[in-house]
Amino acid sequence: MSIRSILTLLGPFLALVVVYCIFGAMKPAMFTSDVVLSVLTQTVIVATAAIGMTLIIISGGIDLSVGSIIAMASVAAATFVTKGYSPLIVFVCTIAFGAICGMINGSLTVGLRLLPFIVTLGTMQIFRGGAKVYAKGTPVNLPFDVTTYKAWMGGSGLPYGVWMMVALVLVMTLVLRLTRFGRYVFAVGSNENTATLCGVNVPKVKILVYTFGGAMAGLAAVMNMAKSSQGDPTTAMGMELDVIAAVVIGGASLSGGEGSVLGALIGALLMTTIRTGCVLNAIPTPWTEVITGAIIVVAVIIDRLRHRRAA
Amino acid sequence: MKASLSLDLVAALALVSCKESGSNGKLTIAVIPKGTTHLYWKSVEAGANKAAAEFGVNVTFIGPQKEDDRSQQIDLVRNQALQSDAIVLAPLDATALRDAVKDVTDKGKPVVIIDSALADSSAFITSYVATDNREGGRIGARRLAEILGGKGKVAVLRYLQGSASTDHREEGFLEEIKKFPGIEVVSAEQYAGATATQAQDTATNLLTRFAEGDGLSIQGIFCSNQTNTYGMLQALRGKNLAGKVKFVGFDCDATFLDALKKGELHGTVLQDPVNMGYLGVKSAIDKIKGTAVQPVVDTGATMVTPENMADAKVAALIKTQVQ
Repeated sequence: MSIRSILTLLGPFLALVVVYCIFGAMKPAMFTSDVVLSVLTQTVIVATAAIGMTLIIISGGIDLSVGSIIAMASVAAATFVTKGYSPLIVFVCTIAFGAICGMINGSLTVGLRLLPFIVTLGTMQIFRGGAKVYAKGTPVNLPFDVTTYKAWMGGSGLPYGVWMMVALVLVMTLVLRLTRFGRYVFAVGSNENTATLCGVNVPKVKILVYTFGGAMAGLAAVMNMAKSSQGDPTTAMGMELDVIAAVVIGGASLSGGEGSVLGALIGALLMTTIRTGCVLNAIPTPWTEVITGAIIVVAVIIDRLRHRRAA
Repeated sequence: MKASLSLDLVAALALVSCKESGSNGKLTIAVIPKGTTHLYWKSVEAGANKAAAEFGVNVTFIGPQKEDDRSQQIDLVRNQALQSDAIVLAPLDATALRDAVKDVTDKGKPVVIIDSALADSSAFITSYVATDNREGGRIGARRLAEILGGKGKVAVLRYLQGSASTDHREEGFLEEIKKFPGIEVVSAEQYAGATATQAQDTATNLLTRFAEGDGLSIQGIFCSNQTNTYGMLQALRGKNLAGKVKFVGFDCDATFLDALKKGELHGTVLQDPVNMGYLGVKSAIDKIKGTAVQPVVDTGATMVTPENMADAKVAALIKTQVQ
């Protein structure tokens, strides 16, 4: 890891520590294992989706449909569970379901040479509507006797979901740094033409990246279902913005070629910390929104200042 | 799409123009709910359809996609006014929808407000057909006070800013709970959010704030609709606190019934959405036909408890809201 990339991560990490400590100073309960656990657990869904989004943003793309994919895939996951499939099959099928949605995004973007912003703005509505049509507008509840999924997002000790989130961040950091695919993703995002000239199969990389993003949204959907014991077609409305904000707070550039999954995790943790800290300190809800927004803006400003200095 | 829209327009114009001479075409009444996800709104639809069948009118049931998308609901009101003879509306916001409704009534089409109030509107709307939400909140407060034995600390998890029906329930609850000097409200400043998952996060954080050892420093919780009651229930279960705190909610679904039986939920206030849909459409028809309409129609609220949920009357009411 170069000094520069360590610095890029240090900013958001410091912000997280400072914000956490400020809330902690006002309410020492912030430092209890209970609160730390709940912050980690509440970050899982956004962070999982943000891992996929990081790759998409590094490659110079964007996926606005991620919240809708989560909603549609969580309806699918809950349906699989009510049909009595084993957890393994539920996981595999839901991730595959998300991956197909992502592949549709990627194929439309690459095949028709359309802007991903517009394509995913469209599929955002299509997937959301599809989820509602399939679920007839109401949530699909899990049977009450199904408890297999509870341990993923709750129960005693660290939920599996948190371990999964941490493991995914580690694996994807290595993939981005050490594999040919990882380098290709950065190359495509930095300069598509150069990447093509260097022999990178740009369309293939892009479709893979969107498919991976969809698969991560599918995994996030299983976590969402595990958390609320239902597949709700209206869930994760607006979550795409949280996911994108997490990636950007984590040091990614919306113009591509830059970003890290670890940064995205830190960004997601930062937003959960603010929400949790505000409730714990009895700060009224509207102020929570103001504070979250302000911290996103400040994070981006600091990022730009650092870039100017580095350049 | 365009062709069918203009056809609808022609049809609407035709209806309007021949109404005086006693049209033989059916009246069309648009029912616009707050959302379409909750079973609650499906029960409103069932009631509206019952009235449609009984009085021989067409009912169009169409709602916004998201329960806090006010601008989409305003568009719906304006669009439906072009092709319907009357509108039955459950406004997402007490003031945001006011202008749109006033425009429609100014053009001579009756609007019946159901479920949630519209601010300063009694002069132009036909009728307000709803649960007395304040009374619903008061019923909730009395139940919580009863099971707490009149003393303890309680928290209120609110629903969404600007939602009049839940605001009134929360206010009604807070008013009534003041009458019990032994009860202290320690939190009423948190809003759960529009979706059940958001509500669950907010509820979890709220419970963390009041954590004390293995239990809670609060003894009672009140929630004001299906979304935040569901989120709170999931949060309590997630923290293994379900049943350890007295919990009164609002509305109903299969999960709530299960929780009532398990002693995790100690009461939930049920409205009568079928009756609301039915009376909403009926008031609109009465207005068009020139029959007298009451300005405010109360559709009733019932406290469902583990003890009374098997009673025939309560069970019938539950059936309108749970599949």
